[in-house]
Amino acid sequence: MDDSVHSRPRVPETLGTQTLNFTLNGEPRTLEVAPNAVLLDVLREQLGLGGTKKGCDHGQCGACTVHVDGQAMNSCLRLAVMCEGQQVTTVEGLARDGELHPVQQNFLECDAYQCGYCTPGQMMSATALLNDERIGTDDASVKEAMSGNICRCGAYKNIVEAIQRSRAQLGYDATRKEGAA
Amino acid sequence: MNDMTRPDFDKPRVVGQRTPRIDGEFKLTGRAGYTGELHVDGMLYGYPVPATIANGVLESLDLDAARAMPGVVDIFHHGHFEALHRSPNSMAHGDMVNEVRLPFEDERIYYHGQYVALVVAETFEQARAAAQRVVARYREERGAVVSLLQTEAEGTLQESAGSTRGDPEAAFGGAEVKVDSTYHIAAESHLQMEMHATLAEWRDAGKRLVVHESTQGVFFQRNAMARVFGLAQENLEVISHYIGSGFGNKLFMWPHSVATAVAARMIGRPVKVVLPRQQDMTSGGNRPASRQRIRLGADRSGKLTSVIHDSTTETSLVHQYVDTCGSATPSFYACDNVSTSQRVLEVNHGTPCPMRAPGEVSGIFALETAMDELAVALEMDPVELRLKNNAEQDPASGLPWSSKHLDECLTSAAKRFGWEQRNPAIGSMRDGDEIIGYGMASCTWSAGRQPCEARVELRADGSLFAACGTQDIGTGTYTIVAQAVAELTGAELSRIEVKLGETSLPAGPLSGGSMATATVLPAVAAAARDALDAIKEVAVGSGGAFEGSDPDSLAAQAGGLTDGERRVSFEEILETSKLSSVNGQGSAAPGDERSEYAFRSFGAHFVEVRIDPEISRVRVTRVVSSIDIGRAINPPTARNQVEGGIVMGVGMGLLEKLDYDPRDARLINANVADYIVPTHADAPEIDVELLDYPDFKHNEFGGRGVGEIGLTGVASAIANAIYHATGKRHRDLPITIEALLASS
Amino acid sequence: MRTFAYSRADSVDHAAHRTMPDTAFVAGGTTLLDLIKLDVLKPENVVDINALPLKRVERLNDGRLKIGALVTNTDLAHHPEVKSHYPVLSEALLAGASTQLRNMATTAGNVMQRTRCPYYRDPAAKCNRREPGSGCDAMDGINRMHAVLGGSDACIAVHPSDMCVGIAAIGATLTLQGPDGEREVDFADFHRLPGDTPHIEHDLADGELITAITLDAPLENAGSHYLKLRDRASYEFALASCAAQLVLDGDTIREARLALGGVATKPWRCSDAEAALVGQTADKTSFERAADIALKDAQAREHNGYKIPLARQAIVRALRNAARGDKPASETQESQA
Ligand SMILES: Cc1cc2nc3c(=O)[nH]c(=O)nc-3n(C[C@H](O)[C@H](O)[C@H](O)COP(=O)(O)OP(=O)(O)OC[C@H]3O[C@@H](n4cnc5c(N)ncnc54)[C@H](O)[C@@H]3O)c2cc1C
Ligand code: SF4
Ligand code: FES
Ligand code: FES
Repeated sequence: MDDSVHSRPRVPETLGTQTLNFTLNGEPRTLEVAPNAVLLDVLREQLGLGGTKKGCDHGQCGACTVHVDGQAMNSCLRLAVMCEGQQVTTVEGLARDGELHPVQQNFLECDAYQCGYCTPGQMMSATALLNDERIGTDDASVKEAMSGNICRCGAYKNIVEAIQRSRAQLGYDATRKEGAA
Repeated sequence: MNDMTRPDFDKPRVVGQRTPRIDGEFKLTGRAGYTGELHVDGMLYGYPVPATIANGVLESLDLDAARAMPGVVDIFHHGHFEALHRSPNSMAHGDMVNEVRLPFEDERIYYHGQYVALVVAETFEQARAAAQRVVARYREERGAVVSLLQTEAEGTLQESAGSTRGDPEAAFGGAEVKVDSTYHIAAESHLQMEMHATLAEWRDAGKRLVVHESTQGVFFQRNAMARVFGLAQENLEVISHYIGSGFGNKLFMWPHSVATAVAARMIGRPVKVVLPRQQDMTSGGNRPASRQRIRLGADRSGKLTSVIHDSTTETSLVHQYVDTCGSATPSFYACDNVSTSQRVLEVNHGTPCPMRAPGEVSGIFALETAMDELAVALEMDPVELRLKNNAEQDPASGLPWSSKHLDECLTSAAKRFGWEQRNPAIGSMRDGDEIIGYGMASCTWSAGRQPCEARVELRADGSLFAACGTQDIGTGTYTIVAQAVAELTGAELSRIEVKLGETSLPAGPLSGGSMATATVLPAVAAAARDALDAIKEVAVGSGGAFEGSDPDSLAAQAGGLTDGERRVSFEEILETSKLSSVNGQGSAAPGDERSEYAFRSFGAHFVEVRIDPEISRVRVTRVVSSIDIGRAINPPTARNQVEGGIVMGVGMGLLEKLDYDPRDARLINANVADYIVPTHADAPEIDVELLDYPDFKHNEFGGRGVGEIGLTGVASAIANAIYHATGKRHRDLPITIEALLASS
Repeated sequence: MRTFAYSRADSVDHAAHRTMPDTAFVAGGTTLLDLIKLDVLKPENVVDINALPLKRVERLNDGRLKIGALVTNTDLAHHPEVKSHYPVLSEALLAGASTQLRNMATTAGNVMQRTRCPYYRDPAAKCNRREPGSGCDAMDGINRMHAVLGGSDACIAVHPSDMCVGIAAIGATLTLQGPDGEREVDFADFHRLPGDTPHIEHDLADGELITAITLDAPLENAGSHYLKLRDRASYEFALASCAAQLVLDGDTIREARLALGGVATKPWRCSDAEAALVGQTADKTSFERAADIALKDAQAREHNGYKIPLARQAIVRALRNAARGDKPASETQESQA
């Protein structure tokens, strides 16, 4: 079920490009990007990292959520060139050494998804939230903090359960914090 | 016949057990390839240009500025497009489409968002930038039909979509207690998270077309494209491995797919089009608005004597779509005098299409709200009213139900909900600033089944492979197919690979109508049995692992065969006989049982709302449901479907509405911020019970489908709870703040 | 999305001297990129100001709080000074947008955010604000989201910010840096009423940069509440919202601050209503009277009439909760995270 068509994305030829140096999922990267290229499109089209999804392209759904310097952000409303020098983490960077991140593992076990399209965004928000002591730990606070991630399949109940389970297992390891945060 | 390879479906080992999704890891790591993120060599990006009016004529297109933009390769439109043919649009022949009109077919504009051009460029940014530079000039015409909700027009009667038994008019006339109410539901958007997407690639010098499409029906799309392009079906391949859900609007082909394939052929390079959200909403399907009148007659004891259900729904000017609201009504309650009628009205909207529980979900809102009104008129508990009218056999066909446990759903959910604590007096239950309302409704969805083929291979490397040309739209089809194979072969789930979503695979059904489970699993089981027969033949053959044994004496056990004393794994058997694999084919179709029994799922939703009248706020805080879907093949994914349906029901009840400008029928809230759906914070506390009564008359696995039923009835239960809290009967959806204010 | 040149400003002076025409600063980008994608804003040059040293929050000697233009909405909402001295602002911030958007959105960007009027956001529609003199499709169209206060015949678009409503109820000064130096503007005067010139949205000259917002010294011993009413429970703009602060002496109101959101063309301070509250007993009667005064000039179009009673409800409830100094859990949950 892994998709073989997932091959060889190309660097677009545009009139002008700019050089972008940033860290993507722990790896330093240098790219030529168009000044008007949006981080989400660069990830999906230029770098072939399709895990970050596009559900609206206008900050209205959360499917495109990534971490920038450890903070959850909508990659559809951020120019790629704005990420100069920053640490960007996408869903592809959650699992380490082939081992699922505890949040991924709990999403699997709690069936915290259906079609899976909002799921990377949900998990990126979830991992950021679990690292953010400013956000309350009760269900109501979690639901409010997660409300920027729409799940049209309506798997909300299981998503919250997966998050709370991840919190409870102190297998959730604070050293996983990426970026500056 | 030896029955040892038949699993004991009364005590299955894997089927019916909690099974984490086998495709889960792909979805959770970002490796699952949804159509929009696929890449092929030399691929270009297309961006459609939508009409900005809803009624008129496209007078001219000025393309000079757009053509001059960097990266632009070509721009397609009415004057620059291939001549094609329409699809016959037949359900029975598997080539139904969602919009029969081809893209750019003429220069008339029938709806806002209709494509007037397709810009193709080297990159996504370039295609979008150039599309915004296309200047279209229109002659707008007055008189656009904006919405069913803004006209008295009746629409055209659809004889075939109605039914009558007994003499409902006379019975209604003479009824002791009557309800006569009219209900309106605004048009809704599917708002599936993944927009429609097509990647079209011509191979073999333009003779073969490979299309990646986010679709709920690869075979339907293949067949329709074959008709449109005049290609042999064999020269077309449609692929859809992961689908960011569809809820019905990806069942059949839309014009963007045709436009993409034409662009790819004319340019000679693959083209990908992902509809921007606005166009997905204007031009990629919607649930049409409905107007429904329900008349109920009953005697003093609460026995229904008449049910008359008259509905009108919208369709577009370019395609006839009938959203039959009354289709559940004749089977819902025991009543001798029942009629339904259906009309459709043409409006200047993008074409509506099936959306989760199409027709029925609207119909059940009206019927179950009317039942609540009847309960009030009778001063009777609404649960009791439903129990009293429970249909012991299908009143529409006169056939016995294959399996029905609505009464248990009603009583069990009522108990878990705490219905007995309900004080029936309006507004009597308070907590601080809030009034608490309790409401309930029954829900139902028909249990269909289609013919299906499948293939199962047993391989020398120890793996098993199952294939079927159906799709997994998030309901968990990959996993239940693996479960079925595991059940029959005893193999570990981790050894089973499942392939779906390709027209090169054995023909499978649409992922829709809650039919996939009951359709696919029997075919997969037949294929698995055939594969077992094949490996037994190998095992008993000369030099085989069970050389000389009677094949009927062998049974599958733990991924191998056993004669009762000795177990040999499939891989060993194949290796011993120097084979790489054996193959089993299977097919299954509904049979005589369809004329002996009626098949339908039922359930009940109980809803708590909290209303703070001084700030006009209503929130659904708790939903308790009991649903009878036969056996749940994978209980967590089945429950997830119902929970998701409940969340969508909250949207339907309180939030969702496509807003068409009353002056010109333009859709003004075609985005995810202004078309509001429930968020995490809107999701109520949900408790879903799935009754476990396997329905072996439906199929050997005992499962009926579960995708739609959870949504039906929810909006009515909410409206009924609001009535209990406020005494105001809401018959129009969504129930907005304005409506609440107007009632206070 | 159109192409533009992108550059980074490395000093405030440098930024403020970018007086090239059609230049837009980008901070969080959540308004700017949204509207460039829609082809509503069309800058030729985008100047990234994120490297500027405008991320501090500092308490001044006179008790005021100076907030750097680039402080994010998240950081501001959780800042200890804001939480303890201006809880109404913290609540307003957390009631806005989503976690992700608040992580991106900046204080100045929030002040500068554009209306959500659907016709403004659709280049095919007539809109005086987007294209002066073209007309206003909202006036007789779907105007459910539109303003009942501060509108004109030219425009009735709502200023959609929550944060600004909190700030309006506190009082503040904006510090602007332009090619000709620094100036200060009263927050109450910064956003313009649409009048005949709805395209002139605020008092900011070309090339001028907001560097800071300085909140007035906090009201001592005030109870406060920000209440946001909307269709769904989160991630939606206000249909009506109210920021209220009350200082009580026993039951008597000594000082009052009241501002409205979701119903007006700019963050709407209700000074008359505040004056009417002072000296009154904090009870339903005085709150309702204040609401009537605040809304006496409200004017509805076809679909937004409900906002008048709704705003009234928001005012009365926010005042009640401010007076109580406690908030029912259900209200704080939805409007305060
Ligand atoms: C889906 C969605 C939902 C939202 N919901 C809410 C809500 O409920 N409540 C709410 O209040 N807001 C809401 N917002 C709006 C959000 O708060 C604003 O977009 C955000 O505050 C803007 O800040 P920014 O830093 O991203 O601004 P940018 O997009 O970077 O800039 C916005 C504008 O300000 C200008 N600008 C930025 N910084 C300066 C400066 N220092 N000096 C001069 N000009 C400057 C820019 O040139 C641009 O014109 C929502 C937004 C979205 C997309
Ligand atoms: S209300 Fe204002 S912003 Fe909206 S269309 Fe009219 S002029 Fe434009
Ligand atoms: S795609 Fe970015 S929020 Fe929807
Ligand atoms: S799992 Fe489908 S949208 Fe969330």
